[in-house]
Amino acid sequence: MAIIAASSVEKIFRQPKRQSGFGGALRSLFSREHTEVRAVDGISFAIEGGEAAGYLGPNGAGKSTMIKMMTGILVPSSGTVEVLGREPHSNRITNAAEIGVVFGQRSQLWWDLPVRDSFDLNRHIYDIPASRFADNLARLTSMLDMAGYIDRPVRQLSLGQRMRAEIAMALLHDPKILFLDEPTIGLDVVAKDVVRKFLAEVNRERGTTIILTTHDLVDIEEICPRLIMVDDGKLLFDGELRHLRTALGSRRRLKLEFGTDPGAITLKTAQLVTDEGLAKHFLLESQQTSILDVLTELGSGHDLKDVKLEEPNIEEVIRTFYQNKPALAGARP
Amino acid sequence: MSRSLAVVPHLVRMYVRTRLEYRGAMLLAWFAQALSYAATYTAIALLLLRFGNLGGWTWSEMALLLSFHLLAYSLGASLSFTQFRDIEEKVRLGTLDAVLIKPVSPWVYLVFSGLNIGYAGHIILAVGLMAWAVTEVAVDWSILTALYFVAGLLSAAMVTAAIMTMIGATALVWVRSKHLFSIFFGFWELARYPLNIFPVPLQILMLTIAPLGFLAFVPVAVTLGRPVPLLGDWAALTSLLAGPLAVTLGALHWRHCIQNYQGAGG
Repeated sequence: MAIIAASSVEKIFRQPKRQSGFGGALRSLFSREHTEVRAVDGISFAIEGGEAAGYLGPNGAGKSTMIKMMTGILVPSSGTVEVLGREPHSNRITNAAEIGVVFGQRSQLWWDLPVRDSFDLNRHIYDIPASRFADNLARLTSMLDMAGYIDRPVRQLSLGQRMRAEIAMALLHDPKILFLDEPTIGLDVVAKDVVRKFLAEVNRERGTTIILTTHDLVDIEEICPRLIMVDDGKLLFDGELRHLRTALGSRRRLKLEFGTDPGAITLKTAQLVTDEGLAKHFLLESQQTSILDVLTELGSGHDLKDVKLEEPNIEEVIRTFYQNKPALAGARP
Repeated sequence: MSRSLAVVPHLVRMYVRTRLEYRGAMLLAWFAQALSYAATYTAIALLLLRFGNLGGWTWSEMALLLSFHLLAYSLGASLSFTQFRDIEEKVRLGTLDAVLIKPVSPWVYLVFSGLNIGYAGHIILAVGLMAWAVTEVAVDWSILTALYFVAGLLSAAMVTAAIMTMIGATALVWVRSKHLFSIFFGFWELARYPLNIFPVPLQILMLTIAPLGFLAFVPVAVTLGRPVPLLGDWAALTSLLAGPLAVTLGALHWRHCIQNYQGAGG
Protein backbone atom coordinates (compact mmCIF):
# COMPACT_ATOMS: atom_id res chain seq x y z
CA MET A 1 0.00 0.00 0.00
CA ALA A 2 1.29 3.46 -0.91
CA ILE A 3 2.39 5.45 2.13
CA ILE A 4 3.06 8.53 0.04
CA ALA A 5 0.67 9.51 -2.74
CA ALA A 6 0.93 12.65 -4.81
CA SER A 7 -1.84 13.32 -7.28
CA SER A 8 -1.64 16.12 -9.86
CA VAL A 9 0.22 18.26 -7.36
CA GLU A 10 0.93 21.86 -8.26
CA LYS A 11 2.71 24.54 -6.32
CA ILE A 12 2.56 28.04 -7.69
CA PHE A 13 4.50 30.88 -6.11
CA ARG A 14 3.23 34.36 -6.81
CA GLN A 15 6.09 36.80 -7.00
CA PRO A 16 6.02 40.56 -7.57
CA LYS A 17 7.27 41.52 -11.03
CA ARG A 18 10.68 43.18 -10.71
CA GLN A 19 11.67 45.85 -13.19
CA SER A 20 15.28 46.66 -13.93
CA GLY A 21 17.02 49.90 -13.05
CA PHE A 22 16.32 52.54 -10.42
CA GLY A 23 13.22 53.80 -12.24
CA GLY A 24 11.93 50.27 -12.48
CA ALA A 25 12.47 49.76 -8.75
CA LEU A 26 10.48 52.96 -8.05
CA ARG A 27 7.68 51.90 -10.43
CA SER A 28 7.48 48.48 -8.79
CA LEU A 29 6.66 50.22 -5.50
CA PHE A 30 3.32 51.20 -6.99
CA SER A 31 2.87 48.29 -9.38
CA ARG A 32 0.63 45.35 -8.47
CA GLU A 33 1.96 43.14 -11.25
CA HIS A 34 2.92 39.62 -10.30
CA THR A 35 4.39 36.66 -12.06
CA GLU A 36 3.44 33.10 -11.28
CA VAL A 37 6.24 30.60 -10.83
CA ARG A 38 5.06 27.02 -11.24
CA ALA A 39 7.57 25.20 -9.03
CA VAL A 40 5.69 21.89 -9.14
CA ASP A 41 3.54 21.25 -12.16
CA GLY A 42 1.02 18.41 -12.06
CA ILE A 43 3.21 15.76 -10.46
CA SER A 44 1.76 12.37 -9.51
CA PHE A 45 3.50 9.37 -7.96
CA ALA A 46 2.98 6.78 -5.27
CA ILE A 47 5.64 5.36 -2.98
CA GLU A 48 5.21 2.07 -1.17
CA GLY A 49 6.37 1.43 2.39
CA GLY A 50 10.02 0.33 2.50
CA GLU A 51 10.91 1.86 -0.87
CA ALA A 52 13.92 4.11 -1.42
CA ALA A 53 13.26 6.75 -4.06
CA GLY A 54 15.59 9.40 -5.33
CA TYR A 55 14.15 12.71 -6.46
CA LEU A 56 16.52 14.07 -9.05
CA GLY A 57 16.59 17.28 -11.01
CA PRO A 58 18.64 20.39 -11.70
CA ASN A 59 18.50 23.54 -9.58
CA GLY A 60 15.02 25.05 -9.58
CA ALA A 61 13.37 21.83 -10.72
CA GLY A 62 11.01 21.84 -7.73
CA LYS A 63 12.66 19.08 -5.68
CA SER A 64 12.80 20.92 -2.36
CA THR A 65 9.31 22.32 -2.87
CA MET A 66 7.96 18.78 -3.25
CA ILE A 67 9.77 17.66 -0.09
CA LYS A 68 8.33 20.67 1.75
CA MET A 69 4.81 19.71 0.68
CA MET A 70 5.32 16.10 1.77
CA THR A 71 6.62 17.21 5.16
CA GLY A 72 3.76 19.66 5.71
CA ILE A 73 5.83 22.85 5.50
CA LEU A 74 4.09 24.10 2.36
CA VAL A 75 0.51 23.76 1.18
CA PRO A 76 -0.02 22.57 -2.44
CA SER A 77 -1.73 25.08 -4.73
CA SER A 78 -3.76 22.24 -6.23
CA GLY A 79 -3.82 18.46 -6.29
CA THR A 80 -3.39 16.28 -3.25
CA VAL A 81 -0.49 14.97 -1.23
CA GLU A 82 -1.04 12.17 1.26
CA VAL A 83 1.61 10.88 3.63
CA LEU A 84 0.73 7.88 5.82
CA GLY A 85 -2.90 8.42 4.87
CA ARG A 86 -2.96 12.05 5.99
CA GLU A 87 -2.78 15.47 4.38
CA PRO A 88 0.61 16.66 5.70
CA HIS A 89 -0.06 20.41 5.97
CA SER A 90 -3.36 20.09 7.83
CA ASN A 91 -1.93 17.38 10.13
CA ARG A 92 1.55 18.85 10.37
CA ILE A 93 2.32 17.92 13.97
CA THR A 94 0.94 14.35 13.73
CA ASN A 95 2.78 13.89 10.45
CA ALA A 96 6.01 15.27 11.91
CA ALA A 97 5.97 12.69 14.70
CA GLU A 98 6.12 9.85 12.17
CA ILE A 99 8.68 11.19 9.73
CA GLY A 100 12.31 12.22 9.93
CA VAL A 101 13.72 15.07 7.88
CA VAL A 102 17.33 15.96 7.11
CA PHE A 103 18.24 19.18 5.34
CA GLY A 104 21.72 18.98 3.84
CA GLN A 105 22.23 22.71 4.08
CA ARG A 106 20.26 23.57 7.24
CA SER A 107 21.42 22.14 10.51
CA GLN A 108 18.94 21.07 13.17
CA LEU A 109 21.66 20.61 15.77
CA TRP A 110 22.33 23.21 18.48
CA TRP A 111 25.50 24.90 17.27
CA ASP A 112 27.12 25.71 20.62
CA LEU A 113 26.18 22.56 22.52
CA PRO A 114 27.44 18.97 22.35
CA VAL A 115 25.71 16.71 19.82
CA ARG A 116 24.34 14.58 22.66
CA ASP A 117 22.31 17.56 23.98
CA SER A 118 20.48 17.98 20.66
CA PHE A 119 19.73 14.25 20.65
CA ASP A 120 18.43 14.48 24.20
CA LEU A 121 16.15 17.40 23.28
CA ASN A 122 14.71 15.32 20.45
CA ARG A 123 13.95 12.56 22.97
CA HIS A 124 11.57 15.01 24.67
CA ILE A 125 10.24 16.55 21.45
CA TYR A 126 9.35 13.12 20.01
CA ASP A 127 8.44 11.66 23.41
CA ILE A 128 10.74 8.67 22.92
CA PRO A 129 10.70 6.16 25.80
CA ALA A 130 14.06 6.19 27.63
CA SER A 131 14.97 2.56 26.89
CA ARG A 132 14.17 2.85 23.17
CA PHE A 133 16.12 6.10 23.01
CA ALA A 134 19.15 4.48 24.68
CA ASP A 135 19.03 1.49 22.30
CA ASN A 136 18.66 3.66 19.19
CA LEU A 137 21.37 6.05 20.31
CA ALA A 138 23.81 3.20 20.95
CA ARG A 139 23.00 1.58 17.58
CA LEU A 140 23.28 4.81 15.59
CA THR A 141 26.44 5.89 17.42
CA SER A 142 28.05 2.61 16.49
CA MET A 143 26.78 2.49 12.89
CA LEU A 144 27.77 6.07 12.16
CA ASP A 145 30.96 5.98 14.21
CA MET A 146 29.98 8.99 16.32
CA ALA A 147 31.48 7.92 19.68
CA GLY A 148 34.53 10.12 19.17
CA TYR A 149 32.59 13.36 18.82
CA ILE A 150 29.14 12.94 20.33
CA ASP A 151 30.19 14.99 23.38
CA ARG A 152 31.80 17.77 21.37
CA PRO A 153 30.04 21.05 20.51
CA VAL A 154 28.53 20.97 17.03
CA ARG A 155 30.57 24.03 15.98
CA GLN A 156 33.77 21.95 16.31
CA LEU A 157 32.64 19.17 13.96
CA SER A 158 33.59 18.64 10.34
CA LEU A 159 30.80 18.76 7.77
CA GLY A 160 30.89 14.97 7.41
CA GLN A 161 30.61 14.43 11.17
CA ARG A 162 27.80 16.94 11.38
CA MET A 163 25.85 15.29 8.58
CA ARG A 164 26.17 11.90 10.27
CA ALA A 165 24.84 13.47 13.46
CA GLU A 166 21.95 15.13 11.56
CA ILE A 167 20.95 11.79 10.04
CA ALA A 168 21.22 10.02 13.40
CA MET A 169 19.04 12.69 15.02
CA ALA A 170 16.37 12.25 12.35
CA LEU A 171 16.27 8.50 13.03
CA LEU A 172 16.23 8.46 16.85
CA HIS A 173 12.43 8.27 16.99
CA ASP A 174 12.22 5.41 14.43
CA PRO A 175 10.40 7.38 11.73
CA LYS A 176 8.45 5.44 9.13
CA ILE A 177 9.70 7.74 6.39
CA LEU A 178 13.01 9.55 6.16
CA PHE A 179 13.14 12.61 3.90
CA LEU A 180 16.58 13.88 2.99
CA ASP A 181 17.10 17.11 1.08
CA GLU A 182 20.53 16.86 -0.56
CA PRO A 183 22.18 14.90 2.24
CA THR A 184 25.56 14.55 0.54
CA ILE A 185 25.99 18.11 -0.66
CA GLY A 186 29.44 19.47 0.13
CA LEU A 187 30.72 16.21 1.62
CA ASP A 188 34.06 14.71 0.63
CA VAL A 189 34.22 11.34 -1.14
CA VAL A 190 34.76 9.32 2.05
CA ALA A 191 31.96 11.06 3.97
CA LYS A 192 29.59 10.62 1.01
CA ASP A 193 30.37 6.93 0.93
CA VAL A 194 29.66 6.52 4.66
CA VAL A 195 26.32 8.34 4.35
CA ARG A 196 25.25 6.37 1.28
CA LYS A 197 26.13 2.98 2.77
CA PHE A 198 24.36 3.85 6.00
CA LEU A 199 21.17 5.03 4.29
CA ALA A 200 21.08 1.95 2.06
CA GLU A 201 21.44 -0.22 5.17
CA VAL A 202 18.70 1.63 7.08
CA ASN A 203 16.37 1.14 4.12
CA ARG A 204 17.31 -2.51 3.64
CA GLU A 205 17.59 -3.68 7.25
CA ARG A 206 14.99 -1.54 9.07
CA GLY A 207 12.54 -1.05 6.22
CA THR A 208 12.55 2.73 6.63
CA THR A 209 11.12 4.39 3.53
CA ILE A 210 13.63 6.86 2.12
CA ILE A 211 12.96 9.81 -0.16
CA LEU A 212 15.96 11.88 -1.02
CA THR A 213 16.59 14.78 -3.32
CA THR A 214 19.97 15.08 -4.89
CA HIS A 215 22.03 16.38 -7.76
CA ASP A 216 24.36 13.45 -7.43
CA LEU A 217 23.47 10.37 -9.42
CA VAL A 218 25.76 8.19 -7.35
CA ASP A 219 23.40 8.84 -4.38
CA ILE A 220 20.61 7.36 -6.46
CA GLU A 221 22.68 4.46 -7.77
CA GLU A 222 23.82 3.42 -4.29
CA ILE A 223 20.73 4.14 -2.21
CA CYS A 224 17.63 4.25 -4.37
CA PRO A 225 16.48 1.58 -6.81
CA ARG A 226 13.78 3.99 -7.91
CA LEU A 227 14.35 7.31 -9.59
CA ILE A 228 11.88 10.16 -9.91
CA MET A 229 13.29 12.72 -12.27
CA VAL A 230 11.87 16.22 -12.60
CA ASP A 231 12.58 19.38 -14.48
CA ASP A 232 10.77 22.72 -14.57
CA GLY A 233 8.39 21.25 -12.01
CA LYS A 234 7.29 18.46 -14.35
CA LEU A 235 7.79 14.73 -13.99
CA LEU A 236 10.21 13.40 -16.61
CA PHE A 237 10.75 9.86 -15.45
CA ASP A 238 9.56 7.58 -12.67
CA GLY A 239 11.00 4.10 -12.55
CA GLU A 240 14.08 2.05 -12.01
CA LEU A 241 17.36 3.73 -12.77
CA ARG A 242 18.36 0.95 -15.19
CA HIS A 243 15.32 1.75 -17.34
CA LEU A 244 16.22 5.42 -17.61
CA ARG A 245 18.54 4.99 -20.57
CA THR A 246 15.81 3.37 -22.62
CA ALA A 247 13.21 5.87 -21.50
CA LEU A 248 15.38 8.77 -22.55
CA GLY A 249 16.12 7.13 -25.90
CA SER A 250 19.85 6.89 -25.31
CA ARG A 251 21.76 4.43 -27.46
CA ARG A 252 24.64 2.10 -26.83
CA ARG A 253 27.93 2.94 -28.42
CA LEU A 254 29.89 0.36 -30.46
CA LYS A 255 33.56 0.74 -31.38
CA LEU A 256 35.05 -1.43 -34.12
CA GLU A 257 38.86 -1.48 -34.56
CA PHE A 258 40.41 -2.78 -37.76
CA GLY A 259 43.95 -3.89 -38.72
CA THR A 260 43.67 -2.01 -42.02
CA ASP A 261 41.26 0.79 -42.92
CA PRO A 262 38.23 -0.90 -44.56
CA GLY A 263 36.94 2.41 -45.98
CA ALA A 264 33.39 3.65 -45.50
CA ILE A 265 31.02 1.22 -43.83
CA THR A 266 27.25 1.61 -43.80
CA LEU A 267 25.08 -0.62 -41.61
CA LYS A 268 21.32 -0.94 -41.02
CA THR A 269 21.73 -2.05 -37.41
CA ALA A 270 24.08 0.76 -36.34
CA GLN A 271 24.64 4.36 -37.26
CA LEU A 272 28.18 5.55 -37.94
CA VAL A 273 28.99 8.62 -35.82
CA THR A 274 32.79 8.91 -36.04
CA ASP A 275 35.16 7.47 -38.59
CA GLU A 276 38.84 7.49 -37.59
CA GLY A 277 39.92 5.12 -40.34
CA LEU A 278 41.16 2.19 -38.28
CA ALA A 279 38.53 2.87 -35.57
CA LYS A 280 34.86 3.44 -36.33
CA HIS A 281 32.24 4.48 -33.76
CA PHE A 282 28.60 3.48 -34.16
CA LEU A 283 25.42 4.02 -32.19
CA LEU A 284 23.17 0.97 -31.98
CA GLU A 285 19.71 1.80 -33.28
CA SER A 286 17.78 -0.49 -30.97
CA GLN A 287 18.09 -2.04 -27.50
CA GLN A 288 17.32 -5.37 -29.16
CA THR A 289 20.31 -5.17 -31.51
CA SER A 290 23.15 -7.43 -30.37
CA ILE A 291 26.84 -7.35 -31.30
CA LEU A 292 26.21 -10.54 -33.21
CA ASP A 293 23.60 -8.76 -35.37
CA VAL A 294 26.12 -6.04 -36.21
CA LEU A 295 28.94 -8.47 -36.93
CA THR A 296 26.66 -10.60 -39.07
CA GLU A 297 25.67 -7.58 -41.12
CA LEU A 298 29.31 -6.43 -41.33
CA GLY A 299 30.38 -9.80 -42.68
CA SER A 300 33.94 -11.12 -42.88
CA GLY A 301 36.99 -9.84 -44.74
CA HIS A 302 37.39 -6.50 -42.97
CA ASP A 303 40.46 -7.40 -40.86
CA LEU A 304 38.43 -6.73 -37.67
CA LYS A 305 40.76 -6.67 -34.62
CA ASP A 306 38.57 -5.64 -31.69
CA VAL A 307 34.98 -4.86 -30.74
CA LYS A 308 33.91 -2.74 -27.76
CA LEU A 309 30.30 -2.12 -26.65
CA GLU A 310 29.72 0.69 -24.17
CA GLU A 311 26.57 1.38 -22.17
CA PRO A 312 26.01 5.13 -22.13
CA ASN A 313 27.18 6.78 -18.93
CA ILE A 314 24.05 7.65 -16.97
CA GLU A 315 25.28 11.11 -16.05
CA GLU A 316 26.03 11.80 -19.69
CA VAL A 317 22.57 10.54 -20.67
CA ILE A 318 20.89 12.92 -18.26
CA ARG A 319 23.13 15.83 -19.20
CA THR A 320 22.43 15.25 -22.87
CA PHE A 321 18.76 14.97 -22.08
CA TYR A 322 18.61 18.30 -20.28
CA GLN A 323 20.71 19.98 -23.00
CA ASN A 324 18.49 18.67 -25.78
CA LYS A 325 15.18 19.05 -23.96
CA PRO A 326 13.27 20.72 -26.81
CA ALA A 327 14.21 17.95 -29.23
CA LEU A 328 13.51 15.21 -26.74
CA ALA A 329 10.39 16.71 -25.21
CA GLY A 330 8.37 13.68 -26.26
CA ALA A 331 10.49 11.22 -24.29
CA ARG A 332 8.44 9.83 -21.44
CA PRO A 333 8.62 6.56 -19.57
CA MET B 1 -0.37 21.05 22.82
CA SER B 2 0.55 19.07 25.95
CA ARG B 3 3.64 17.73 24.19
CA SER B 4 4.61 21.27 23.21
CA LEU B 5 4.30 22.50 26.80
CA ALA B 6 6.20 19.49 28.16
CA VAL B 7 9.12 20.44 25.92
CA VAL B 8 9.29 24.03 27.28
CA PRO B 9 11.66 23.38 30.26
CA HIS B 10 14.01 21.40 28.02
CA LEU B 11 14.07 24.16 25.39
CA VAL B 12 14.75 26.80 28.05
CA ARG B 13 17.53 24.69 29.55
CA MET B 14 19.15 24.30 26.11
CA TYR B 15 18.95 28.04 25.45
CA VAL B 16 20.37 29.00 28.85
CA ARG B 17 23.22 26.53 28.38
CA THR B 18 23.92 28.11 24.98
CA ARG B 19 24.03 31.58 26.52
CA LEU B 20 26.28 30.36 29.32
CA GLU B 21 28.82 29.28 26.71
CA TYR B 22 29.51 33.01 26.42
CA ARG B 23 28.83 34.09 30.02
CA GLY B 24 31.23 37.06 30.00
CA ALA B 25 29.44 38.61 27.01
CA MET B 26 26.07 37.91 28.65
CA LEU B 27 26.96 39.67 31.92
CA LEU B 28 28.40 42.62 30.03
CA ALA B 29 25.18 42.91 27.97
CA TRP B 30 23.04 42.87 31.15
CA PHE B 31 25.15 45.62 32.70
CA ALA B 32 25.22 47.74 29.51
CA GLN B 33 21.44 47.52 29.03
CA ALA B 34 20.69 48.44 32.64
CA LEU B 35 23.16 51.33 32.48
CA SER B 36 21.62 52.62 29.25
CA TYR B 37 18.11 52.70 30.74
CA ALA B 38 19.39 54.18 34.02
CA ALA B 39 20.98 57.03 32.04
CA THR B 40 17.70 57.73 30.18
CA TYR B 41 15.71 57.69 33.43
CA THR B 42 18.23 59.95 35.14
CA ALA B 43 17.76 62.51 32.37
CA ILE B 44 13.96 62.34 32.77
CA ALA B 45 14.32 62.60 36.60
CA LEU B 46 16.56 65.68 36.31
CA LEU B 47 14.08 67.40 33.98
CA LEU B 48 11.15 66.62 36.26
CA LEU B 49 12.98 67.71 39.40
CA ARG B 50 13.81 70.97 37.62
CA PHE B 51 10.34 71.65 36.14
CA GLY B 52 8.14 69.93 38.77
CA ASN B 53 5.94 67.69 36.61
CA LEU B 54 5.20 66.37 33.15
CA GLY B 55 1.54 66.61 32.14
CA GLY B 56 0.73 66.75 35.85
CA TRP B 57 2.84 63.72 36.72
CA THR B 58 5.50 64.11 39.43
CA TRP B 59 8.87 62.34 39.42
CA SER B 60 7.72 59.51 41.73
CA GLU B 61 4.64 58.91 39.53
CA MET B 62 6.84 59.02 36.44
CA ALA B 63 9.21 56.55 38.12
CA LEU B 64 6.28 54.16 38.57
CA LEU B 65 5.28 54.68 34.93
CA LEU B 66 8.84 54.13 33.67
CA SER B 67 9.41 51.04 35.80
CA PHE B 68 6.04 49.55 34.79
CA HIS B 69 6.84 50.30 31.15
CA LEU B 70 10.24 48.62 31.39
CA LEU B 71 9.06 45.60 33.40
CA ALA B 72 6.00 44.88 31.22
CA TYR B 73 8.09 45.30 28.09
CA SER B 74 10.89 43.07 29.41
CA LEU B 75 8.50 40.28 30.40
CA GLY B 76 6.78 40.35 27.02
CA ALA B 77 9.92 40.92 24.96
CA SER B 78 11.89 38.14 26.66
CA LEU B 79 9.28 35.83 25.14
CA SER B 80 9.21 37.45 21.78
CA PHE B 81 11.58 40.20 20.67
CA THR B 82 14.76 38.48 19.51
CA GLN B 83 12.79 35.39 18.51
CA PHE B 84 10.47 37.27 16.15
CA ARG B 85 13.03 39.86 15.07
CA ASP B 86 15.19 36.97 13.80
CA ILE B 87 12.34 35.11 12.13
CA GLU B 88 12.92 37.15 8.96
CA GLU B 89 16.43 35.71 8.78
CA LYS B 90 15.10 32.22 9.44
CA VAL B 91 12.61 32.56 6.57
CA ARG B 92 15.25 33.96 4.22
CA LEU B 93 17.79 31.23 4.99
CA GLY B 94 15.16 28.49 5.17
CA THR B 95 16.06 27.52 8.75
CA LEU B 96 12.44 28.01 9.80
CA ASP B 97 11.68 24.82 7.86
CA ALA B 98 13.63 22.89 10.50
CA VAL B 99 11.19 24.20 13.13
CA LEU B 100 8.11 23.37 11.06
CA ILE B 101 9.06 19.68 10.78
CA LYS B 102 9.01 19.15 14.54
CA PRO B 103 5.95 17.64 16.22
CA VAL B 104 5.48 20.65 18.51
CA SER B 105 3.90 24.07 18.14
CA PRO B 106 6.33 26.22 16.12
CA TRP B 107 5.41 29.25 18.29
CA VAL B 108 6.30 27.39 21.48
CA TYR B 109 9.51 26.10 19.93
CA LEU B 110 10.60 29.51 18.66
CA VAL B 111 9.69 31.40 21.83
CA PHE B 112 11.24 29.04 24.36
CA SER B 113 14.27 27.99 22.34
CA GLY B 114 15.18 31.68 22.40
CA LEU B 115 13.76 32.78 25.77
CA ASN B 116 15.83 35.88 26.25
CA ILE B 117 17.51 35.89 29.63
CA GLY B 118 19.34 38.98 28.36
CA TYR B 119 16.43 40.99 29.78
CA ALA B 120 17.58 40.23 33.34
CA GLY B 121 19.34 43.61 33.49
CA HIS B 122 16.13 45.40 32.46
CA ILE B 123 14.09 43.47 35.00
CA ILE B 124 16.48 44.11 37.90
CA LEU B 125 16.49 47.85 37.15
CA ALA B 126 12.70 47.97 36.67
CA VAL B 127 11.93 46.06 39.88
CA GLY B 128 14.36 48.24 41.87
CA LEU B 129 12.84 51.47 40.55
CA MET B 130 9.31 50.15 41.02
CA ALA B 131 10.03 49.10 44.62
CA TRP B 132 11.07 52.69 45.37
CA ALA B 133 8.22 54.29 43.39
CA VAL B 134 5.35 52.30 44.98
CA THR B 135 6.38 53.62 48.39
CA GLU B 136 6.63 57.21 47.14
CA VAL B 137 3.39 57.63 45.18
CA ALA B 138 0.15 58.70 46.85
CA VAL B 139 -1.70 55.41 46.42
CA ASP B 140 -3.74 53.76 49.14
CA TRP B 141 -2.58 50.21 48.36
CA SER B 142 -5.18 47.52 48.99
CA ILE B 143 -5.30 43.88 47.89
CA LEU B 144 -7.62 44.85 45.04
CA THR B 145 -5.30 47.65 43.89
CA ALA B 146 -2.28 45.34 44.08
CA LEU B 147 -4.12 42.59 42.18
CA TYR B 148 -5.16 45.07 39.50
CA PHE B 149 -1.57 46.36 39.28
CA VAL B 150 -0.15 42.84 38.76
CA ALA B 151 -2.94 41.85 36.33
CA GLY B 152 -2.36 45.08 34.39
CA LEU B 153 1.34 44.27 34.25
CA LEU B 154 0.66 40.80 32.84
CA SER B 155 -1.85 42.20 30.36
CA ALA B 156 0.72 44.77 29.21
CA ALA B 157 3.37 42.04 28.83
CA MET B 158 0.86 40.10 26.72
CA VAL B 159 0.32 43.15 24.50
CA THR B 160 4.09 43.35 23.89
CA ALA B 161 4.47 39.63 23.11
CA ALA B 162 1.37 39.62 20.87
CA ILE B 163 2.47 42.64 18.81
CA MET B 164 5.94 41.19 18.36
CA THR B 165 4.46 37.83 17.36
CA MET B 166 2.30 39.59 14.77
CA ILE B 167 5.26 41.52 13.37
CA GLY B 168 7.40 38.38 13.21
CA ALA B 169 4.60 36.30 11.71
CA THR B 170 4.28 38.83 8.91
CA ALA B 171 7.74 37.76 7.73
CA LEU B 172 6.31 34.30 7.02
CA VAL B 173 4.30 35.84 4.21
CA TRP B 174 6.25 38.99 3.30
CA VAL B 175 9.72 37.53 4.05
CA ARG B 176 10.79 40.91 5.44
CA SER B 177 9.14 42.52 8.45
CA LYS B 178 11.99 44.00 10.50
CA HIS B 179 11.02 47.55 9.52
CA LEU B 180 7.77 47.06 11.47
CA PHE B 181 9.84 46.78 14.65
CA SER B 182 11.08 50.35 14.02
CA ILE B 183 7.45 51.52 14.04
CA PHE B 184 6.84 49.51 17.22
CA PHE B 185 9.79 51.09 19.00
CA GLY B 186 8.70 54.55 17.86
CA PHE B 187 5.42 54.15 19.75
CA TRP B 188 7.22 52.28 22.54
CA GLU B 189 9.33 55.38 23.21
CA LEU B 190 6.18 57.53 23.40
CA ALA B 191 4.56 55.02 25.76
CA ARG B 192 7.07 56.02 28.46
CA TYR B 193 5.27 59.32 28.93
CA PRO B 194 1.76 60.27 30.11
CA LEU B 195 -0.66 59.92 27.20
CA ASN B 196 -2.36 63.22 28.04
CA ILE B 197 0.69 65.22 26.85
CA PHE B 198 0.14 64.04 23.25
CA PRO B 199 -2.38 65.41 20.72
CA VAL B 200 -5.72 63.58 20.55
CA PRO B 201 -5.07 61.78 17.20
CA LEU B 202 -1.91 60.26 18.68
CA GLN B 203 -3.81 59.28 21.83
CA ILE B 204 -6.43 57.52 19.67
CA LEU B 205 -3.70 55.74 17.74
CA MET B 206 -2.01 54.53 20.93
CA LEU B 207 -5.22 53.11 22.31
CA THR B 208 -6.31 51.38 19.09
CA ILE B 209 -4.11 50.17 16.24
CA ALA B 210 -0.81 50.80 18.06
CA PRO B 211 -2.10 49.95 21.54
CA LEU B 212 1.06 50.75 23.48
CA GLY B 213 -0.93 53.15 25.67
CA PHE B 214 -1.85 49.94 27.51
CA LEU B 215 1.81 49.04 27.98
CA ALA B 216 2.13 51.38 30.99
CA PHE B 217 0.12 54.60 30.94
CA VAL B 218 -3.43 53.23 31.27
CA PRO B 219 -2.77 50.71 34.10
CA VAL B 220 -0.49 53.10 36.00
CA ALA B 221 -2.93 56.03 35.61
CA VAL B 222 -5.77 53.79 36.90
CA THR B 223 -3.60 52.74 39.86
CA LEU B 224 -2.73 56.36 40.65
CA GLY B 225 -6.36 57.44 40.23
CA ARG B 226 -5.45 59.81 37.43
CA PRO B 227 -7.85 60.50 34.54
CA VAL B 228 -7.33 58.48 31.35
CA PRO B 229 -8.17 60.38 28.17
CA LEU B 230 -10.77 58.82 25.83
CA LEU B 231 -11.33 55.76 28.03
CA GLY B 232 -12.51 57.41 31.24
CA ASP B 233 -14.18 54.89 33.57
CA TRP B 234 -13.54 52.06 31.10
CA ALA B 235 -9.79 52.38 31.53
CA ALA B 236 -9.40 49.68 34.22
CA LEU B 237 -11.43 47.08 32.34
CA THR B 238 -9.92 47.81 28.92
CA SER B 239 -6.37 47.65 30.31
CA LEU B 240 -7.09 44.14 31.63
CA LEU B 241 -8.76 43.05 28.37
CA ALA B 242 -6.10 44.54 26.09
CA GLY B 243 -3.62 41.70 26.73
CA PRO B 244 -5.96 38.74 26.14
CA LEU B 245 -7.47 40.50 23.10
CA ALA B 246 -4.02 41.20 21.62
CA VAL B 247 -3.00 37.58 22.26
CA THR B 248 -6.13 36.31 20.49
CA LEU B 249 -5.46 38.52 17.48
CA GLY B 250 -1.78 37.58 17.55
CA ALA B 251 -2.62 33.85 17.62
CA LEU B 252 -5.04 34.21 14.68
CA HIS B 253 -2.49 36.20 12.70
CA TRP B 254 0.26 33.67 13.48
CA ARG B 255 -1.98 30.80 12.41
CA HIS B 256 -2.91 32.56 9.18
CA CYS B 257 0.73 33.31 8.36
CA ILE B 258 1.91 29.76 9.12
CA GLN B 259 -0.80 28.44 6.79
CA ASN B 260 0.35 30.82 4.08
CA TYR B 261 4.08 30.34 4.60
CA GLN B 262 5.83 30.24 1.25
CA GLY B 263 9.47 30.21 2.27
CA ALA B 264 11.91 32.39 0.41
CA GLY B 265 12.57 29.92 -2.37
CA GLY B 266 15.03 27.01 -2.58
